[in-house]
Amino acid sequence: MVPLTYFQLLSAALFAIGLYGVLARRSAVLIVLSIELMLNAVNINLIAAASHLDGTGSFRYFDGQVIAIFVITIAAAEVGLALAIILRMYRNRATVDVDEINLMKW
Amino acid sequence: MEWAWLIPVLSFVAFPIIVLWGKRLPGGGAPLAIAAIGAGFVLFWVALLGFLAATPDAGGCLTDAINGTQTCNFQRAWFNAGLPGRPGSVALIWGMTIDPLALVMLGMVTFVALMVQVYSLGYMKGDPRFGWYYACHALFAAAMLTLVLADSFLLLYVAWELVGACSYLLIGFWHERPAAREAAKKAFIVTRLGDVGLLLGILLLWREVGSFSMTAAFEMAHSGAMSQGVATAAALLMLLGAMGKSAQFPFHVWLPDAMEGPTPVSALIHAATMVAAGVYLVARAYPIFLASGDALTVVAIVGLVTALMASTIALTATDLKRILAYSTISHLGLMMLSLGAGGYTAALFHLLAHGFAKALLFLGAGSVLHSTQQQDIRYMGGLRKAMPLTAFLFSLGALSLGGIPILAGFWSKDEVLAAVSKGLPPVFIVLALVTALLSALYLARAMFVVFFGAASEAGQHHAHAGHEAPLAMAVPMVLLGVLAAGFGLVSFNWPGSFGGIGEFLFYHEPEGFHFTWWLGILSTILAVAAFTYGYLAYVKERISLEGVRRRLAPVIRVVEGKYYIDELYQLVVDRVILVVSRFIGFFDRAVVNDVLVNGPADSVRRVGVAMRLHVTGHVYSYALVMALGAAALAILWWWRVA
Repeated sequence: MVPLTYFQLLSAALFAIGLYGVLARRSAVLIVLSIELMLNAVNINLIAAASHLDGTGSFRYFDGQVIAIFVITIAAAEVGLALAIILRMYRNRATVDVDEINLMKW
Repeated sequence: MEWAWLIPVLSFVAFPIIVLWGKRLPGGGAPLAIAAIGAGFVLFWVALLGFLAATPDAGGCLTDAINGTQTCNFQRAWFNAGLPGRPGSVALIWGMTIDPLALVMLGMVTFVALMVQVYSLGYMKGDPRFGWYYACHALFAAAMLTLVLADSFLLLYVAWELVGACSYLLIGFWHERPAAREAAKKAFIVTRLGDVGLLLGILLLWREVGSFSMTAAFEMAHSGAMSQGVATAAALLMLLGAMGKSAQFPFHVWLPDAMEGPTPVSALIHAATMVAAGVYLVARAYPIFLASGDALTVVAIVGLVTALMASTIALTATDLKRILAYSTISHLGLMMLSLGAGGYTAALFHLLAHGFAKALLFLGAGSVLHSTQQQDIRYMGGLRKAMPLTAFLFSLGALSLGGIPILAGFWSKDEVLAAVSKGLPPVFIVLALVTALLSALYLARAMFVVFFGAASEAGQHHAHAGHEAPLAMAVPMVLLGVLAAGFGLVSFNWPGSFGGIGEFLFYHEPEGFHFTWWLGILSTILAVAAFTYGYLAYVKERISLEGVRRRLAPVIRVVEGKYYIDELYQLVVDRVILVVSRFIGFFDRAVVNDVLVNGPADSVRRVGVAMRLHVTGHVYSYALVMALGAAALAILWWWRVA
């Protein structure tokens, strides 16, 4: 049985990579990809935690999988929305560089 | 008699009608105003007869416990309010007191106002604001009549301010002329200085008495329930108001300037009625002045100083209307002096006689002005040929006021002198006689220079161009002339029921007709001497005035400078009032405005400026804050759990 800690390390690494992508990337598309990465890091964490709920890794409880499915569903909707916004952005400004999209400020 | 409230109300009603529809009314609204005041005059006689016929101590009429005259009160409550624990303390009551004092004032005001309004038909003919003029006159008449009928200090104060406002409007009637505007403002502000005193006096009495009722206040003062200190304070404060209104020293400065108004206005408001309101107020509040005692001495001194000062200035003034204005101030001073001496009847008798004579003199001066367009007596002379009627009537008024026997002014001035000699130390009577002499002198000067003697070079063409007054102006002058000559008749003990004005109008006990022989003869000699001197100096030119002028040059310079009182006012305004105002203005701008009002607004703005800086517009900065926030929350949670 793979210890829970390994899953958590994997999940934390994926989440950190995703966060880095969100903060450091300029392209809106890549930011959305990074967000997906972060969501999936959370999913891994959830499922791993669920499999270890009784301490055996036997998947007797599947609360984690249920939440993960919710996350996937919402992530799909979120991607659809985000891509629509990015598309409008591109149509209007001919760029998806978020540094250029800075009108809403003081 | 209970319908006497109609007397002022008629004119009050006429005012808005003339203002709103004056242009469409026949005669520009003038007939309406005249009808209102004429009806008032008729109603005065109804009230007088009703008063004389009234059964004593019945139907609202009582013998006044304090001053002994019959007094009728008619009241109607308007509303009642009260301070906590003092119910009814702010009762507002429409009410009128009809007693001999109110009645004589009522008669004088309605009569002179009627005469002046008729006179104005001729004088103001063709003026572009003819209707407004009559509207103001109607409002003034209403306010003045309310003033003399008022039975509470509150109503009196309202009327008091209203006559002041009318005076302002009418002085500044020709507001195209800067001098008229300035004079109107000056009159308004200077009298306001005194009115503050009056208001404080009324409030003091209200605090002491618990109501605005005059009767209650007088009873308290009379019975000694009011301490002497309070009575003195209240009396002196009210005297301030009276001094402002009656142009007593040092508040007299507005009256000469008020001559910028149309001459009939000067005759009505600034000679016969409104300026007499101060004398009326002191007479009305006499119980309070008597309770104080000291206040009466102050009244006498103020009156004497004013009378002397104004009569000397009148001698050197060259503007016909200003001579008359200073004469008015001087005679009002004599009335105050008489009140201060305890000569209540004498003061009011002189008020009436002076009112008629001075109104006549002003209307005469107006007639001269109307025909010559000239106000400076140095450019006048020999006008009696061109306008004999005016000359005769003006001379009649001057002789009457100057104190030539059997004319009204002689009797009234003599009563005043008798009262002064009886009630005050000898120095007062000496100075009062000097005033009487000066008064005869300046009147002689005005009369002889304008109407007699040789026409001055500049005045030559006036002597020919001048024309007699039109009928509308002549008739009022003749009627006033009759009174100026014959009003003295009311002072005698006539056989029958009328025992002279001292029987009708008195304070405390009826006074029979009295005549102090030595004073009468002395004042006659002084008056005759003054008029003879004037005749010889200005008509025959037998006496040269050059010598006098040279010897008294420094004195004359001071007098011609009107004792520099105007300059003193200017100095005080410049050095004290403006400096203080500037400081207050600075405080207002720097502290109240900049710190207290703009200060909080500024700090809110500055905080806003600082706070908006976090809105960078960069997505990653928002994301970073979000991530850091989430991390912080996570750490916090961890801590709590661990």
